[in-house]
Amino acid sequence: MDEVQVLERYLLIGALLFGIGLVGFVSRRNMIVMFLAAEMMLQGISVSLVAWGRFHNDWGGQMLVIFILTVAACEAAIALALVLMLYHRSGKLDIAFWQTVREANQPRYVDQQLPDEPLKVEHWPTLPPAGVEPVRSDDEVIHRSHV
Amino acid sequence: MSTAAQTIAIASALLAGGLWLQLPRGNSRGRWWGIVLAALGVCLLGRLVVRLQPEHWVGEAVFFGVAATTIVSAIGAVTMRSPVYCALWFALTLVGTAALLLFQGAQFLGIATVVVYAGAILVTFLFVLMLAQPEGHTYYDRVSWEPLLSACTGAVLIGLLSASIFLPASGKPAQSGWKNDRWSATERKQEIVHPQHMAHVGRQLFSRYLVAVEVAGTLLLVGLVGAVAIVSHGAPARQTGEAVERDRLAAREAHHG
Repeated sequence: MDEVQVLERYLLIGALLFGIGLVGFVSRRNMIVMFLAAEMMLQGISVSLVAWGRFHNDWGGQMLVIFILTVAACEAAIALALVLMLYHRSGKLDIAFWQTVREANQPRYVDQQLPDEPLKVEHWPTLPPAGVEPVRSDDEVIHRSHV
Repeated sequence: MSTAAQTIAIASALLAGGLWLQLPRGNSRGRWWGIVLAALGVCLLGRLVVRLQPEHWVGEAVFFGVAATTIVSAIGAVTMRSPVYCALWFALTLVGTAALLLFQGAQFLGIATVVVYAGAILVTFLFVLMLAQPEGHTYYDRVSWEPLLSACTGAVLIGLLSASIFLPASGKPAQSGWKNDRWSATERKQEIVHPQHMAHVGRQLFSRYLVAVEVAGTLLLVGLVGAVAIVSHGAPARQTGEAVERDRLAAREAHHG
């Protein structure tokens, strides 16, 4: 197949991953989900870079992705430490809790009231009892020969 | 306006609507419509790159299966209410990305993505989730910041990026020097898709990119120190080691005496 067509495909997938990750990062409020969305944007970049590297028959793309992995690992460590610290201070993973650090001329964000979620009673599968229950002597239960 | 431009515009609009309907907005009305719209948008975009090739149909089917898995699980990862589901969908995205990298001959990166992301980063974050997550969906998981605006932003970005890939105005690849016939298939086999891929990666990494490797090592060290500093600085003040030791000795004496 034509190399240009291969490149187009991977660039399109990279663009989709980046855009979806951006939507997640901007709109979600859970700090951990925000972090996952940021990682997804990095994945989109990685796919595009490797595609370009293959297209130009050059190692630069793959090498850059290796360093992206390194930076992502560092980022994960720092983000994890930050999230844990913020969680210990506020007791929740909500990023809106920290809106006091916004700029002075920005209005305060007020949550709308939400109705409670309907309670769902979960029915988990159970195993039917099978076989015969062994006869237990009281003597053995009290003085077990082994634990 | 060309057909490609129309396709991209319609697909972006569909994606925006689909993502908006799927994002948490306090209720789950219209989620199925969101899924349908987003799927239509992705399929429209995919139509731009599908060329029917009956002789390679197995490879094509596998490729489009992997690509569809990646995109669908990416949408799932940003729209699920429960963060644990988000993490699981993201794991599927990672597996799809790793497969895409393998498809391009990046064997080391494919494996490293699964090991580093899915194996280390994601599992660590699942640990944090299990520490921090209360029962049921919390309030902040059921609403999002400006779902309509953010969905539109993302869709516009996707539309612009794909327009820059496919539209002739910005240089259709085949017409504007993107054409790449400098390397034949055999020459490619000697570089990126070489049988001894790992040996080539290592040689490149420790010769041409040696300084970058050193810098990356330093960065990892700085990141480690920074993480420890943030956690220990932010935690509430604890007893000093001496006080803990004194308490332990006192407890032991009370136990024995």
